[in-house]
Amino acid sequence: MSAAKRVQQWATFARTWHIFDCKWQDPYQSAHVIKKYLMGMHKPIYHPMNDCGDVVLCINSREVALRGDDWRQRAYFHHTGYPGGATWTLAWEVHNKDPTMIIKKAVYRALKGNLQRRHTMQRLLIYPGEEVPEDIMQNVTNQIRQFRPVPTRLDHIPEDEVKQFPKVMEYPEDYVLK
Amino acid sequence: MAFIRRYIPLVTQSLKNVYIGEQRRKIHRWVAPTLMALKSRENKQGGKVINPRNTFLEWNLEAELYAFGKRLSENFDSDLLLQAFTDRSYVIKEEMKQKEMEFDIKMKDNRELAEEGRKFMEQYIQLYLETVLPKFPMEGIASIHNHLTSEKVLANVSLHLGTKDIILADEYPVDNYTLANAFKAIVGALLRSSGEEQAAHFVRDFVITNLQGQDVNEFWHIEDPWTMLTDLIAKTGSKLEPRLIGEVGKNTLLACYRVGLYLDKKMLSSGFGETVATAKEMAAREALKKIFGTEDNMYPINFKLNGIPKSSCNSRYQVSAS
Repeated sequence: MSAAKRVQQWATFARTWHIFDCKWQDPYQSAHVIKKYLMGMHKPIYHPMNDCGDVVLCINSREVALRGDDWRQRAYFHHTGYPGGATWTLAWEVHNKDPTMIIKKAVYRALKGNLQRRHTMQRLLIYPGEEVPEDIMQNVTNQIRQFRPVPTRLDHIPEDEVKQFPKVMEYPEDYVLK
Repeated sequence: MAFIRRYIPLVTQSLKNVYIGEQRRKIHRWVAPTLMALKSRENKQGGKVINPRNTFLEWNLEAELYAFGKRLSENFDSDLLLQAFTDRSYVIKEEMKQKEMEFDIKMKDNRELAEEGRKFMEQYIQLYLETVLPKFPMEGIASIHNHLTSEKVLANVSLHLGTKDIILADEYPVDNYTLANAFKAIVGALLRSSGEEQAAHFVRDFVITNLQGQDVNEFWHIEDPWTMLTDLIAKTGSKLEPRLIGEVGKNTLLACYRVGLYLDKKMLSSGFGETVATAKEMAAREALKKIFGTEDNMYPINFKLNGIPKSSCNSRYQVSAS
């Protein structure tokens, strides 16, 4: 193999590091996008038997947004293997216990149940907040686009800005706000 | 299976009128031990005996030589062709034999023709390469030329033209040196019998076409591409600037960097590598390829040039001399 062919191969199979911000994102919808990057399905060289998957770094997993009433309704099942060892834990309970668990389970479920699944999962790094170790952050070179725009909450906007915002009308003095 | 196949005619003849109900798919238990026994007997006798085709009774050298020329659609002079196929070793062997039998017939060997063919071939290949790769420097052309005229390539061409059995040599099978020599001698014989142009086209069709599908840059190993590139650029007075334009997995074992070379703020080439230094070197190699007109996406080499190209030595530059 000539030098040119060698570096061509090296560049083709280079592992890219992507970052994904889970803030206000639906984990089950995001999981399908993350899965594509983890398995390398976004590359033209993709083949199930070639090792071309990338690394995905998820941040802000504490801020994921479940659909509808899912925090209270969705239950995560676990069985210890012993009789009577089945447990059903609600999503909010799981999330309180480990804020990375929801997104991890979602990606694990999105992947196909074959021998590669656990190896592919090794390439998924999840951090509950925005603090990521410096040496890991240096590897990141790409950002995966979020599905939904993150809305700004009114109580996060500084008070001066809210006051200065143009109004259509003023409430009357004696109007009681609910 | 070979054993079965060999004796199938005997068996089928004796069983002509017997009904065979089903096709046999089984290999009998006795086949393997029998073949092994035959093999060990063969080894005891001193290995497999190769009978050269030209020792067979009905071998007609004259007809073979004639057919050889016709297969290639060339008109060889028959005496010259016979001389081209006569190796020096064969002549020596024959002379020893004749000395014992006390008579003397002069035989010509192919050394003279081979020398003539070699000279013509080298000259023509040089001119041809200079014409089809106009921007490639002299050292590069020389290394491609060395590859094409190497014993290995010529022997391969010669073997596949079917010279193996026709060559008159004291050993069988003939070695690569004899094969290559015979090919050079054939070129020499063609040169004498059909003229320069015909011989040139013969060399073009059978030797130069070996470059098909090959990367010409691989024949020429450039020791220090960066220095060579900067020397070339320095002549034009432009400013060359390497920039790191991409990196992936910086702190991992699989780190990959991409370095782009910019000439007067315009991108010239880019190269990849596992370190920045390698990537820079590869970028320089890419740039050189671009300057020499031998990029990966170059037009394929023209194998259809007719006649002998004119020499244009004045415009050709030498890289290491600068």
